[in-house]
Amino acid sequence: MKKRSKPKVAFFDFTDCEGCQLQITNMGDTLLELTELFDIVNFREIMSEKSDDYDIAVVEGSISTDNDIKRIKGIRERAKILVAFGSCATIAGVNGIKNRAPLELARQRVYGDKADTVNTIKAMPLDEVVKVDYYILNCPPYVPEIIAVFKSILIGKPYPLPNYAVCVECKMNENVCRYEKDEECMGPVTRAGCNSWCINNGNRCYACRGLVENPAADGAKDIFLKYGFKAEDILKHFTLYNDPQGEKKYDREFK
Amino acid sequence: MKVKYAILEKQDLYRWVEYLKIKARLYAPKKKENLFVFGPVKNADEICLDYIPTILPPKKYYFPQKEKLLEFSIKPFKSEKAIKEFEEYILFGVHTCDIAGIQCLDVVFREYPEDPNYLNRKEKMTIIGIECFKYCDKYANCTSMGNNVPRGGYDLMMVDLGQNFIIHINSEKGERLVVELDYIKEAKPQDLAKLENFRNEKKKMFREELNAPLPEVYKAFSEYESFHSEVWNDVGRRCVACGNCTAVCPTCYCFDIVDELELTLNDGLRYRIWNYCQMDDFAKVATGEDFRKGRNSRQRHRYYRKFKYPVDKYNRYFCIGCGRCSRTCMADIILIETVDSIVDPANAQNYKGLIKNMPEVCQITQDTGACDDR
Repeated sequence: MKKRSKPKVAFFDFTDCEGCQLQITNMGDTLLELTELFDIVNFREIMSEKSDDYDIAVVEGSISTDNDIKRIKGIRERAKILVAFGSCATIAGVNGIKNRAPLELARQRVYGDKADTVNTIKAMPLDEVVKVDYYILNCPPYVPEIIAVFKSILIGKPYPLPNYAVCVECKMNENVCRYEKDEECMGPVTRAGCNSWCINNGNRCYACRGLVENPAADGAKDIFLKYGFKAEDILKHFTLYNDPQGEKKYDREFK
Repeated sequence: MKVKYAILEKQDLYRWVEYLKIKARLYAPKKKENLFVFGPVKNADEICLDYIPTILPPKKYYFPQKEKLLEFSIKPFKSEKAIKEFEEYILFGVHTCDIAGIQCLDVVFREYPEDPNYLNRKEKMTIIGIECFKYCDKYANCTSMGNNVPRGGYDLMMVDLGQNFIIHINSEKGERLVVELDYIKEAKPQDLAKLENFRNEKKKMFREELNAPLPEVYKAFSEYESFHSEVWNDVGRRCVACGNCTAVCPTCYCFDIVDELELTLNDGLRYRIWNYCQMDDFAKVATGEDFRKGRNSRQRHRYYRKFKYPVDKYNRYFCIGCGRCSRTCMADIILIETVDSIVDPANAQNYKGLIKNMPEVCQITQDTGACDDR
């Protein structure tokens, strides 16, 4: 059988913690299996070689400076396929918290008397600047989903994101609902696909995968209130990862 | 069948459980945090026979959440092989409501074209039920649905008579699990009299939970006004579309089919996976149209799928009264309240959290005492 040439993959990072890429290095044997199918040409966490010749760009982090915009546009031009990798790249993630305050205040807080030397713009997911072909959600990404997306890329099919709540998977796993124990959870409004990873392990859902297309922000707020949470705290649960989605999906309910 | 009723002394329960474990894989209700789940039995003392309905119904064993249907390969030639080897298993300590749930799915999956996966799994199943003599909690509506008492569909039915269990033998499959055991004896007339007595006492305690008898509920659901009732808007406003109500329902049977390739990109598995009418995209079609837009119409659909459509189609209510959907709903959408409000809109005003504030009917949900006496 003729061996097909392997697509070249490059990893890049913007405003982030690089923890998503670390997830790839944590894959163990599966990473070796993936290297049978792909050539990794750029990945600063695991190799020193670099290359500008790649087919697939896997990009972590959100866009938060003018330079970022220039750089991501360059990557988009060189790559045939662009994959947004992790919460920061797909939904702006925790970086989006900055957008809730005036930019000037954020700059002062972070850089103090050096603030003038730093360029900063609002934190954005990649698709506000360039076209994104595949999304790998989660903070950090869920390994089975990373593999599923890479398989979709190889066979040239889209990877449709589930448009139902984390609760769907959580119930299939037969977890005791956190609300049953009077504990908060963003599961009812958060996009599934992580197999309720956090709740399976005794944690709560932080909505790191972004909200479903049409979240019932109103109903969710009522539930939170009923369980004794204050409106401003509930809003924080929504904005922790999902600031850019506020205008469309939940801001109205909290005004 | 020679013996119709048998007696098992309580001190022999664990001995019998050990015996059942040898016969087949044994699944029984066990404690999970403050709730219960069906699970494989390692030690007999894990079993909780005094329990409120488990998070998921035993449905997960005959219609699993994610079920492998077939294996396929692309090279050297396109081929597929159906997965149809299943092992014998026993569901132990199943409530009468859940047995009614199995009967409902039986009707659905036996309809042409029959569902071979369900039928194969069903054939390997033995059901050992247990009859309840106290209410689970305020969410159950089993009496209204007629499922608070055994109505067939099981192999063996246990009734706790105090010092011992009386076991109704309802099939040859069940009979094989109790005959030739020297510690399970034929029931005597006084045991049967005691059972009769227990059932009479039970009748006094179990009252219909819905305001109206079932035929009236069906009639109300058949009326034009009910379909456009304000109740659905209220329910839809509270609903967050988490899908919990449909996930835990013993009679929901919608599924989706997914193919998963291995990393070789040559071999793969085809699964079917639970799918719910409460999901946003459930009734969306390729052109972008959505036949059931809005959480109000999706919730309404769920209720009609329990109290109207299956009655027309199968002459059977698909609510079995376990109360799981109400128990699991974080938005307090309570089935009893919704149905009563549809039957008589005046009730809609009276409710609004009324059930939430009612005292617990019994105490077995509390941590203490759930399994102590066994």
